[in-house]
Amino acid sequence: MANERNHSSDYTGPLKRLLAGVLVLCLVGLFLVWRIDSPRVERFRAQVVDRVIPNFEWAMAPVTGTINIIRDFQSYQRIYQQNQELRRELQQMKAWKEAALQLEQENARLLDLNNVQLDPRLTFITGVVMADSGSPFRQSVLINVGTRDGIVDGWAAMDGLGLVGRTSGVGERTARVVLLTDTSSRIPVTIQPSGQKALVVGDNTAAPPVDFIEDADQLRAGDRVLTSGDGGVFPPGLAIGQIAKDPGGRVRVRLAADYERLEFLRVLRNYGHRAITDPGHLITSDPIGAEAETLSETTSEASDG
Amino acid sequence: MGDTPGSRIGLMRSVYLLICTFLTFLSLLPLETAPRNWAGPDLILALSCAWVLRRPEFVPAPLIALVFLLTGLLFQMPPGLWAALVVIGTQTLRARAPGLRDLTFAAEWVTVAITLLLMTLANQVVLAVLLVDRPALTLNLMQVFMTLAAYPVVVIASQFLLGVRKHAPGDLDTLASRR
Repeated sequence: MANERNHSSDYTGPLKRLLAGVLVLCLVGLFLVWRIDSPRVERFRAQVVDRVIPNFEWAMAPVTGTINIIRDFQSYQRIYQQNQELRRELQQMKAWKEAALQLEQENARLLDLNNVQLDPRLTFITGVVMADSGSPFRQSVLINVGTRDGIVDGWAAMDGLGLVGRTSGVGERTARVVLLTDTSSRIPVTIQPSGQKALVVGDNTAAPPVDFIEDADQLRAGDRVLTSGDGGVFPPGLAIGQIAKDPGGRVRVRLAADYERLEFLRVLRNYGHRAITDPGHLITSDPIGAEAETLSETTSEASDG
Repeated sequence: MGDTPGSRIGLMRSVYLLICTFLTFLSLLPLETAPRNWAGPDLILALSCAWVLRRPEFVPAPLIALVFLLTGLLFQMPPGLWAALVVIGTQTLRARAPGLRDLTFAAEWVTVAITLLLMTLANQVVLAVLLVDRPALTLNLMQVFMTLAAYPVVVIASQFLLGVRKHAPGDLDTLASRR
């Protein structure tokens, strides 16, 4: 019996075993290269994703659609209750609509009074969600816009309601959006109305905790959380969500974006702010203006050298 | 089946690739973008283990390495490490396969369980040592147990739907695979 066993293990011959060993070494080598020079390998990963996922696109949209229809079909069972609920909500919404219209008019008046110019460069590109991360450990989605649409790493992605994440890993036709709930996500925020700065730290749960709060006692549930623009990655003032406290007393953010159904994402073009690098120059009257100019030139040369 | 053993091996290898592509496709569907506090089974891994214990020639190590490297890249895992661990794990199973052939299914299940647990722990330890973001341990263990729970189903499905059985004495393709 034992003899036969040894015999039948012939087909994992020494050559095959050697091949497997070489394979393992190559894979471990790739992992080490990734650990040492992650951006290069991540760019490679983005290219692989860019190659593979668009091939699935023709099937992904209909299959996702069908499954969502089947899920929605379950809700038809209690269609009457739902109808009642919707009517009640509609009543409330009418009241809100009235309030919103009034506020809109007031806002327009105030903007007009103050002669506010909105930043004309703050525009967005809309992409459709093609795939998610595929594993329960990472929270990211893939959208169907990439470098050919001018997407750059680090831009903010929003759905209609609030911030969803930032682009990270851009291929030619696809871009990955790392969600706020991912464990690698850290977003500097301001909490209004107390105006405190903090970090929203993704931890793979639906409501990410808020860390590095200066004074947690000033916070109330329902305070608004906005991006602060610190670090220069995001434009300031994007809505993230509301403060909530979990039963353990930890401060968390209830996200404004609808994470259950991410379908369309807006990627905000953000070209960064112009930084103020030098202290202001002396402003002088005309007669010695030319002299001051030569002076400033010499100082700039000196600072260059 | 009327075809020759050689062409059957080629056919089953492409069937394996096809199933893996399909499973990858399913898990990439953007159905649930909110984070979940549960993890489903890793069916590709269960399939690979089941086949490597039944017909090792259908799932050669390079094929397994290719599949797990690609899924690792697509699923945003650290590239290469998990694939390397899977290749090591399946190679040990491959070496055990002749001994497990005469034993019961329970023995096979336990062997697979130990292998998967060791692979997962090794993954966690290596990531921790190299200071990489690790997947949450509870979630990771839950995935292992779900994979183990799905394992008998995968075995039955591949036995009765795809005809991947253990070698019996006198099988034609058993002899052929010894070439």
